Amino acid sequence: MYTNVRYGSSLLKGAKSTAITIAIVIICIAAIFPLFWMISLSLRDIAFAGNPSITYWFANVNLQSYINLFRLRNIQSFLVNSFVISITTTVVSLILGSITAYGMARYNFKKKESMAFFLLSMRMIPAIAAVIPFFVISIFVGILDTRLVLIIAYMTFNIPFTVWMMRGFFEEIPKEVEEAALVDGCSTIGVLIKVVLPLSTPGLMATAIFCIINSWNELIFALFLTTFRAPTLPTTVQMFMSIQGIQWNEMAAVGVISTGPILLFAMFVQRYMVRGLTFGAVKG
Amino acid sequence: MKAVDAKESSLYYSKKKDYGPFVYPTFFIMVLVVIFPAIFLYVISLTNYELGRPLSSVEFVGLQNYIRLFSGADRAFWHSIRISLLFMFLATTSQLILGFFIATLLNRKIKFKPLVFGCLIVPITIMPSIAAQIWKLMLDSERGVINYFLSFFDVSVPWLSFGYAYWSVLMVDIWQWTPFMALIIYAGLSSLPVEPYESALIDGATSFQLFRYITLPLLKPLLLLAVVLRSIDALRLFDLPFVLTLGGPGNETEFMSMRVFRLGFFQTNWIGRAAAMAVVLMLCTTIISRFLIWQMRKGKD
Repeated sequence: MYTNVRYGSSLLKGAKSTAITIAIVIICIAAIFPLFWMISLSLRDIAFAGNPSITYWFANVNLQSYINLFRLRNIQSFLVNSFVISITTTVVSLILGSITAYGMARYNFKKKESMAFFLLSMRMIPAIAAVIPFFVISIFVGILDTRLVLIIAYMTFNIPFTVWMMRGFFEEIPKEVEEAALVDGCSTIGVLIKVVLPLSTPGLMATAIFCIINSWNELIFALFLTTFRAPTLPTTVQMFMSIQGIQWNEMAAVGVISTGPILLFAMFVQRYMVRGLTFGAVKG
Repeated sequence: MKAVDAKESSLYYSKKKDYGPFVYPTFFIMVLVVIFPAIFLYVISLTNYELGRPLSSVEFVGLQNYIRLFSGADRAFWHSIRISLLFMFLATTSQLILGFFIATLLNRKIKFKPLVFGCLIVPITIMPSIAAQIWKLMLDSERGVINYFLSFFDVSVPWLSFGYAYWSVLMVDIWQWTPFMALIIYAGLSSLPVEPYESALIDGATSFQLFRYITLPLLKPLLLLAVVLRSIDALRLFDLPFVLTLGGPGNETEFMSMRVFRLGFFQTNWIGRAAAMAVVLMLCTTIISRFLIWQMRKGKD
């Protein structure tokens, strides 16, 4: 059977590889067509945005919709909020999560595994359930519609993820390296900062990437906990709900601005992705 | 051997009990931002709290919200549970099968592999709400590009209307998450050992037998992980129906998350009843994640 495939006629082999190539091309087009369509719509004149005919796909390229977004719809404040919130929650989660992960990787104590899995299960809580108490509590505390409330809310899924990921990376570092530093008179925290963290840069990268992506893309918390002062980019979908069907080019332009930074970022850090997607299960 | 042990215990600090400063601050924070709100959610679900009403009118109503859900009086509740579970099953299995297919296509020497992976990463990392927004434009029955393509075959589908909306949401979910499955399965396939295949081939195994008795068992832990992660996400699905259909038409796409949203914040402001519904949703995802954790621990211990 196997030899037939291997040494079969070159014609059959050629047909098979052509079929595979075609299939892969179709899959790729299907994966990125919505992105292409979004960019194409965003660059159109409003008069042609509602016409799907191929004659308008590349016609009348202009940046009017982007100019409108920045001048009339204040998209820059959404951008700033998204940046500040994603970066801050990621940094805080990485610091707190790494310290805990290090403690779990290097010390043995009772109930360690239970604690780790307890943390992981927090990552699975549906946001729509968590947002109700967050909403009511932040009314009481008076932090509704601030960046702070989203930074805190996003820690609920970023910290468990960080602990889980970084623990795996820390456990891969050979103990001997740390012992050598300890012998040289380094403190425990010193070892973590000077030896362990530099050695686990790929791990920090993979973890940070997913903290940033998940915070940047998060809709539910942003939708319920912010309105005028601290809305992030995902909430822009609300902008057009009532006037759907009018400004398709602007709708698409909002999409390009919202997804562009993360998509570019993801292309650069591709090789770290698989490990993060599987919670560290696949060593990519 | 003994010398090494002695060295470890004298030098290394893993035996000491000062893990506390590392572990407890984060746990304290997690209790504050997750456990405390979760308890508060249960408390809210026992009240008749309504947005816009004065706080003085809030009363404890005991288990009334839950009784209403489970007694059969609330038919929309059972509807949302049914369509959510069906969605979870359909989305996960179709993504698994398609993902497996794509992964096997990729698991060979092909040109421009980084480019192909770049394409597959787009649906995974694109903002779900914006992706839904673009699909909403693409699926528009008159001016959408999908029906424009279909018009060459004299077909026109009212994608987001009654009888179709549920399947359209499913289609977009499959578009978005099949690449996720494909990437994970590809990573698993490309790290498989060669030896079992070689010896099986010598014994004259067919390619189906290779798949059934070698590939599947070796990939099982990874597949299980991917399936459970996808199941949890499909069960708590919110962004897609929120943008595409808002739970409509009628309540055709009122998944569990959408039901909580419409009950508590959109159609009515019954936060108390929405909280009870949210507790049920949380229980559902907890059961599934328990299963994942049980499987992972079996591997770890």
